Amino acid sequence: MPDAKNPSPITHHPSRIPYFPGCALKDQAEAFEESARAAMAALGYELAELPRWNCCGTVYSLATDDLMRHLGPVRNLVRVQELGETRLVTLCAMCYNTLARSSRFVGADPERLERINAFMDEEADYRGGVEVLHLLQLLRDEVGFEEIEAKVKKPLAGVRVAPYYGCMLLRPREVGIDAPDSPEVLEALFSALGAEPLDFPQKAECCGAYQTVSDPEIVRERVREIVSAARRAGAELIATSCPLCQFNLETHQSVAHHPSPITVVYFTQLLALALGVPEDKLGFAGLKFDPRPLLSERELV
Amino acid sequence: MAERIGDSTPRLTGQALRITAGEPEFVAKVEELSGENLYACYQCGKCAAGCLFADHMDFLPNQVLRLVQLADESVLTSRAPWVCASCLACAVRCPKGVDIAKVMEALRLLSLRQGETGLRWAEIPPGVPQIALVGATRKLTP
Ligand code: SF4
Ligand code: SF4
Repeated sequence: MPDAKNPSPITHHPSRIPYFPGCALKDQAEAFEESARAAMAALGYELAELPRWNCCGTVYSLATDDLMRHLGPVRNLVRVQELGETRLVTLCAMCYNTLARSSRFVGADPERLERINAFMDEEADYRGGVEVLHLLQLLRDEVGFEEIEAKVKKPLAGVRVAPYYGCMLLRPREVGIDAPDSPEVLEALFSALGAEPLDFPQKAECCGAYQTVSDPEIVRERVREIVSAARRAGAELIATSCPLCQFNLETHQSVAHHPSPITVVYFTQLLALALGVPEDKLGFAGLKFDPRPLLSERELV
Repeated sequence: MAERIGDSTPRLTGQALRITAGEPEFVAKVEELSGENLYACYQCGKCAAGCLFADHMDFLPNQVLRLVQLADESVLTSRAPWVCASCLACAVRCPKGVDIAKVMEALRLLSLRQGETGLRWAEIPPGVPQIALVGATRKLTP
């Protein structure tokens, strides 16, 4: 029986799902979290923030001997276990990748798991078996795009959007949510919302990621290619699922290459808009390039 | 009378011939850290063809791999592992299943563990978000 005075923050109702925000969504990507929660509420789901979550470490360690790097992710999985839950949903593509890969890495080898558990004094041992999901998987595989289409209140008719996947949603194959070189999940979602998704050759190519810190010139070059390809395909908006891609695509778009920049939104902002979420919960004001002038032309805001 | 060649020598059938006794320590170390079989690479160059950062590398990803196969430790001073953004495009495309991103990580770690750094604090541009800082420091600093 749950303690009435100190109820678990998450009951085992299938539409309440433990959710891992990650640092970026509490910082530069607040619009991502706000719009996602509002959109999921409109679909009848509650993203219940994981109690006492900690930074996942952002990048997954690719070395065989760096067990310490898995401690952050595993601590979060322990928090899911403490709730008696078996799933954890993420929004940030980098968090998704790191948590999903770490979960597989420690789950694949009992000895590894034992060592990691020996590092953690305060927490109960992690037993394995927590499934890390990205919100797009939940939307596609559980909610279903037909259901979403049926709940659309404002079809995004004529909005030409370039879905930009980047790397971490798709690679490596073990955790990729779609085909690594020819993904379609965002296209299917945007079609369900009534928008016009555009195919463009850079949709799964790297933006330069954290090299924005060490070698911004390389990132600028990547961004120029990605944005030009989207523009050539006829895009009015670029939509992403990664706060680092979003930052790079916004910050490194240069007016020297083209006088009018392309707005880079989170996919959840378009989802929430189409589901009829009020404008003040869409987080458009937090973006460097405001999409509202474009959207008001279509009478969507 | 000399024995005819092949009469009594056991034949290798369907087995990969791999002489590990003489494997240089450097190669063994990179294999251990990356968890990859470096000799699987047959130098097709597909990794380099798809690498969006190859333009900025002094050695292409397949050349980096070749240098490691040859136990040429000068590869540790190559710029390539520091330019690699761990995008994993090469990893999903290699026809031999070699995850080059892991090899690049192993090479970075060999330098980082000697106290080298791929990032100087004074050179960090202003205004970069936390997600980029954590990623870069984890990848590029000891
Ligand atoms: S794609 Fe694979 S086999 Fe081909 S050169 Fe690169 S690592 Fe070697
Ligand atoms: S992981 Fe590194 S080497 Fe491989 S394609 Fe990406 S940047 Fe190039």
